[in-house]
Amino acid sequence: MATFSPKTAHKPLISSQFEAAPPPKRTRWLDSWEWDILALSTAVKFLLFPAYRSTDFEVHRNWLAITHSLPISKWYFEDTSEWTLDYPPFFAYFEWALSIPAAFVDPKIVDVKNLLYDAWTAVAYQRITVILTELVLGAALLKLSRGAVDRSTHRIIAASLFLHPSFIIVDHIHFQYNGFMFGILLWSLCMAKTGNKLACGVLFAILLNFKHIYMYLAPAYFVYLLRSYCMAPQGRFLVAPFVTLASAVVLVFVVSVGPFAIMGQLPQLLSRLFPFKRGLNHAYWAPNAWALVTALDRVLLKLGGASMAVNEAGVVSSSRGLIGDTVFAVLPNIKPIHTFLITIAFQAIYLTKLWRVPTAKSFLAALTLCGYTSYMFGWHVHEKAVMLILVPLSLIAAENYAHYRTFVIASVAGIYSLFPLLFTPAESFFKVVYSLIWGAVVFGSLSKRIFEYPSTLPSVIVHRLEDLYLYGFFPLHALVTFLPLVAGPRSGPRSEEASQAGSASSQFEFLPLMLTSVYCAVGLVWAFLRLSVLYLRNY
Amino acid sequence: MSGISTAGNQSSKRPKSRPKFRSPGSSTTSVRSRVESETDFEEILSPQPRHPYLHLLQPWLYNMRDTPSPLPASPSPFRSSPLRPGPHGSSMSVSSPTPFTRQFQGTHPKLGTLDDDVDSMARRWVRWMAKANMRPWIAPLILGAALLLRWTVGLGQYSGYGTPPMFGDYEAQRHWMELTIHLPMRDWYFYDLPYWGLDYPPLTAYVSWLCGIIGHWMNPEWVAFESSRGVESPDSKTFMRATVLALDALIYVPAVFVFCRNWWNTRSRRTQSVALLTVLFQPALVIIDHGHFQYNSVMLGLVLWALNFFHAGHDLLGAICFVLSLGFKQMALYYSPAIFAYLLGKCFYLNGLAGRRLFLSLATVSSLTFLALFAPFYWSPLQPFIRIFPFSRGLFEDKVANFWCASDVVVKWRNMSIAATGGLAKLALLTTLLAILPPVIHLLRLSWLTRRSELDEEDLKETTTISSEAAGPAAVPTLSPKSSPAYSVPPTIRLLPYALFNTSIAFFLFSFQVHEKSILLPLMPITLLMSGRENMGKEIGIWEWGVLANNVALFSMWPLLRKDGQGMECFVLVFLWNHLIGYSPLRMPLSLHKLLALATYSVIAVLHLAEFTISPPARYPDLYPVLNAVLCAGVFGIVWLVGMKKQFEAGWAIAGLGGRNRKGRKEPKANASPGPSLSSVEEEKHGQDAEGGPSGECANLDNISSGRRGKKTKPDISPLRLRSTAGGSVTSNLGPNGL
Repeated sequence: MATFSPKTAHKPLISSQFEAAPPPKRTRWLDSWEWDILALSTAVKFLLFPAYRSTDFEVHRNWLAITHSLPISKWYFEDTSEWTLDYPPFFAYFEWALSIPAAFVDPKIVDVKNLLYDAWTAVAYQRITVILTELVLGAALLKLSRGAVDRSTHRIIAASLFLHPSFIIVDHIHFQYNGFMFGILLWSLCMAKTGNKLACGVLFAILLNFKHIYMYLAPAYFVYLLRSYCMAPQGRFLVAPFVTLASAVVLVFVVSVGPFAIMGQLPQLLSRLFPFKRGLNHAYWAPNAWALVTALDRVLLKLGGASMAVNEAGVVSSSRGLIGDTVFAVLPNIKPIHTFLITIAFQAIYLTKLWRVPTAKSFLAALTLCGYTSYMFGWHVHEKAVMLILVPLSLIAAENYAHYRTFVIASVAGIYSLFPLLFTPAESFFKVVYSLIWGAVVFGSLSKRIFEYPSTLPSVIVHRLEDLYLYGFFPLHALVTFLPLVAGPRSGPRSEEASQAGSASSQFEFLPLMLTSVYCAVGLVWAFLRLSVLYLRNY
Repeated sequence: MSGISTAGNQSSKRPKSRPKFRSPGSSTTSVRSRVESETDFEEILSPQPRHPYLHLLQPWLYNMRDTPSPLPASPSPFRSSPLRPGPHGSSMSVSSPTPFTRQFQGTHPKLGTLDDDVDSMARRWVRWMAKANMRPWIAPLILGAALLLRWTVGLGQYSGYGTPPMFGDYEAQRHWMELTIHLPMRDWYFYDLPYWGLDYPPLTAYVSWLCGIIGHWMNPEWVAFESSRGVESPDSKTFMRATVLALDALIYVPAVFVFCRNWWNTRSRRTQSVALLTVLFQPALVIIDHGHFQYNSVMLGLVLWALNFFHAGHDLLGAICFVLSLGFKQMALYYSPAIFAYLLGKCFYLNGLAGRRLFLSLATVSSLTFLALFAPFYWSPLQPFIRIFPFSRGLFEDKVANFWCASDVVVKWRNMSIAATGGLAKLALLTTLLAILPPVIHLLRLSWLTRRSELDEEDLKETTTISSEAAGPAAVPTLSPKSSPAYSVPPTIRLLPYALFNTSIAFFLFSFQVHEKSILLPLMPITLLMSGRENMGKEIGIWEWGVLANNVALFSMWPLLRKDGQGMECFVLVFLWNHLIGYSPLRMPLSLHKLLALATYSVIAVLHLAEFTISPPARYPDLYPVLNAVLCAGVFGIVWLVGMKKQFEAGWAIAGLGGRNRKGRKEPKANASPGPSLSSVEEEKHGQDAEGGPSGECANLDNISSGRRGKKTKPDISPLRLRSTAGGSVTSNLGPNGL
């Protein structure tokens, strides 16, 4: 299969016309090409078993213990560990299912009192569950790549997603189950593509009940399904599909939240899911618009000095990496309601467009932009949320060169913004080299297929500037790596704990993070603008 | 290519020879086409007319696919590559009854891939990269991936992790860094010997010193004197792992890269890339160096550099590298008989003044390097040697898969009377000597047989003459002056890896005090040899044996790796590598090798299962390691015999069965006439027949390639013939198959 359509691949449009010979009949379950990707990714993931684990590992182990050893009525009340269960009920059921084999593997894994347990059995078991559940993603990608018209390009995209550095970094080193959940999302998108919109909606409802961060994408789903499934193309409202869809979605929620509603635990559940006690920025500023605003505030503080009215609390807040509230020294402060309004305003623009052009392709782009807007302007955004952008954006990367270019900028900046998650030196080497290899293969092979030379002078200049920005990541990385060595104590890990110490050196520990955040934010904001313009003009 | 020789003779063995090399005349045998071959480079493709009704014929052609070729004389017209269809002349030949088939084969992406049978992940990836227009990126990506793999394996545990008071090899190496930077040189080989006293040769000590200095600069606690014993902080581990990776990346990885480019320089770029992947992802070395923790890649890399230098004709540099490798780890002695035989043989080969001169310079340079390494220890010159060669230890320590340990199950060597008098060491020495003699003598004899005539001396002085062909196997495809070092490389260079393998595995099987990790030494040459996979899966060759040896070697180190906490990495690396190179014992043609391989793998699987589920009986606590050693020793013994066979076959390919006719060689051959003279063709045919044997991967290679490049194929080239063909009219370039 790897040899299929070798020459025509460069011109996807033409190739589809000239593929006279029918695709060879599938005699095996997986093509050799697909086996290769599976073998490679599995080998990498297994080798990463002993790698660094964040506290998320203990979080999930604790959830295994909670769901296994406590009755369902206590799941959302248990607080022996500080890592209480704060995902929606489906994820709790999921952990419960995983905890059954875990008890066989090692009963100590599922002991609520056994905090910070990280024996080899626990590590191996939990890492294996991540690998196995990620096969959902693999299956969805297989379906997407096999159904595509331009198979060879989509194969590259599918492989790039299955081996995406963000999944490796966040799931297989840092430890989370994003692969599994993005798998459900991709299944849902797959259904949208094949026209099975009921399944599309139901799958998304299920996904929402696994992890509520996907609410970022919900507006796009709502508008798309309402317009294309519950209304005729002429605009007539169709009652039957609407009732079907609504009842299916309600059913999903009943299964998920129902037991807790019966027990009268809804307020407790909601307070766990939506803790509104956090600041505008996370400890490490996620590289979004607010990171730029915060940086601007710092710069103004330095430049303006005494000439401006300075908020004293903001000065103190300047370089600490605390979860607490970010207070601006110069600029007016931001409240959650502001971020909410801005997000809604931007999303409204894309959703209006989606309402007018409710095709699957348009839906994909609007979905990406919805997630992107939430990431850009949301309150207390995690850097990991960038995956909500990168994954759907990859699917539209091969539309044309402009899309591809957006994809490159967003991917490079987004993946780099995940790097601070891994601060230990051993994993740092891994993350850099792995991402470089991934980028070289994916960008190299895709760009050759769809390259278009910019035709006008402004576009040439923009193109050059973008190149400059991308190459800038090399000096940035050198700076970020060596600045702490030069300025601070040599072997201090730049962890949150260390920066909380508030010593003089913490400033130098936070500076590289700030640089990273701001530099990535520039790229992500630019890619956001690019994608917005592309969507509004081209779809 | 016709040259190729093999295309006709060995049709049954390699019916799918690479089409890239096919040149006119492989199916038609007219003299005219042969003459044309000089200008018809296969890279220049002539457009192929497509049959207008091709699409109508497609169903029929699908059916044609599995029918045997109607053309016994030209077995491979069906296997034109899609990108490189056969040249104009042959594909338009009227004599071919199925002209459309060939075109169809040449265009259909699925059927036209001749590599289907030997397809592997590595080949698929390299091919895909080439199609994606990313050829320049292939090598850098392979090197990057190899480094990444090494580092990732290094995330795991290492030898002696968390096992005070002695810890393991990791602590030994770290301790040497600590020791060398804090003590004066004179104390290095004396200080606190029971706690990992220095027992490697001086170059290890110097490298430890350098690493220690860097470590001290980064964090003095890692190498603090005495107080740092057993330091296991994550930072220090990362530093130690980084030193291994850096030395590996500086010495071994570039050596492999150069090897794959130069040794296989007559093969396609794709094969070179696949070879690079094969060698760099070899699991045993990766897991021992970066998992278990040792610096074998430095020693092996230096030996490989020596091989590269020999291959390029720089014998003195090669000798220095080899002495350095000896000076890094005494284990390189396993290779020394082969290296010695090659160098001495080269002195024979040069024959006369040049030979004597080379001998003297080699002796001087080697001794000087050796002296320089040991000079700082002049006040106690014996102490390093006492430390390096521990003759006071037993016949074998742990369970190791060699002859002594395996036969110990039956014959209790250590209880015999001979053991009391230290006779065991002598017995082992004698057996080892016997075992290494055949390859060494073979190499020397071949060098003598292929020695150059005295006239060569004069040729060497003619620095301005351009030869159209470097000395056969050295095969530097560019024009090289006769005075260049590459010109003087003897054909026996192609035997050197075989000899390296045969002597080192003989040492492993029969010598005294062998460690299980020493299997890495035989593994390197056999992995190098197999990396240029020649026989394309149609028969059992060195490739299959090399994979078997590698897999069994990993299993032989399983007890060690399991103790180190590298068990999972071991499995992952083995499966990844086997998948990468496309190895599947089930898909091999039925043969003794296949049965042996399947039996071995089944026993290994059963042993693993048993070990995981059933604990050994109390009477035999070492049951599993002993069974492991017996099985592996048996396989290694067989591989050793196979290696000898391969070496002799490769020797026949070079010199023929009966040696060469010196007298005939001295006669000036055909003048620079457009066609080959009868005698030269005959002679070539003779050589060809010898290679036609089950043999000689290497010699075949040379012929293939030189045929492809339109050059002469004889490995041992007499300067007289060179002179006769110099000037470019190299028309006698066709292999016998052209006839």
